[in-house]
Amino acid sequence: MLVTVLVVGIPFGIVARQAGLAPAEIVAMSVFVFAGASQFAMVQLFKDGAVWPVIVATVLLINLRHLLMATALRPYFAHVSEARRLAAAFVLTDEAFAMGIGWFRRGRTELMYYATFAVALYLLWNTATVIGMLAGPAIGEPRRFGVDFAITATFVAIVVLGVRRRSDAIVALAAALLAAALAALGASVVAVVTAGALAPLLVLFFREEGAA
Amino acid sequence: MTWLAIAGSAVVTYAARAFAFRVALPSGLPRGVTRYLDALPAAIIAALAGPAILVPGGTVMRGPELVAALVVIAVVAWRRNLLAGVLSGVATVALLRLVLAA
Repeated sequence: MLVTVLVVGIPFGIVARQAGLAPAEIVAMSVFVFAGASQFAMVQLFKDGAVWPVIVATVLLINLRHLLMATALRPYFAHVSEARRLAAAFVLTDEAFAMGIGWFRRGRTELMYYATFAVALYLLWNTATVIGMLAGPAIGEPRRFGVDFAITATFVAIVVLGVRRRSDAIVALAAALLAAALAALGASVVAVVTAGALAPLLVLFFREEGAA
Repeated sequence: MTWLAIAGSAVVTYAARAFAFRVALPSGLPRGVTRYLDALPAAIIAALAGPAILVPGGTVMRGPELVAALVVIAVVAWRRNLLAGVLSGVATVALLRLVLAA
């Protein structure tokens, strides 16, 4: 999992740089936002010329799932200080959650495991960002080498890796098609994001299936 | 503009992460809410990808992007490897553009 962070973080640095973001802006995203998919989404939205409230709203939608993760982790943090809980929240990611919850559910209670892993992810993500950012300008003519497609390819890969049930695939396909149709009609990026927020309502029409 | 977007994104991301650590949400959130929140991130990401694949540059389907997206789906579904998928997608686009331009 630590390697995954490197291989996603480096491309993030590259595409952010290719999109014309300043080094300080790119580093600030990894240091303060620290959310992989959201950061790629931000780069795409910057490229699309989205205004800041749209970007912030999109990032919020992508990260609302942390409510569920924090709710599941909360009991294991009940005995620690408020400050530690709030620090644990800052480094909460899908990866840290997966490792942490697996650990706690095996009956272990040490928070150092979660903390060490989560902080390692944070440091690696930021290191990878800087490496990619420095490498970015070395790749000339992004269109010729298809580098402009890297961000879209990353989105597709993230979605495919996240598909656990048939309904996940249907929701993603519906979101992509609806968004593309709206874009073809000249709709703004707000409509595109709205399509993404509406598509998951489809899951309510599916009978629940167990995760594969 | 860019800095407002970054600062705002940092704030809402941290708020989403910290909220349920501070406030105990009812452990049994309605099933529908849980499922909606579970499906939401992938749907937003897919919505951002859709136009770039099917309507790249504002023109409907020129081809390379759609083919490359299908390659990414196939490679990632097969190898479960993000980097392999991205690299194959980028290579496909580069190759198809070269061929189509010739």
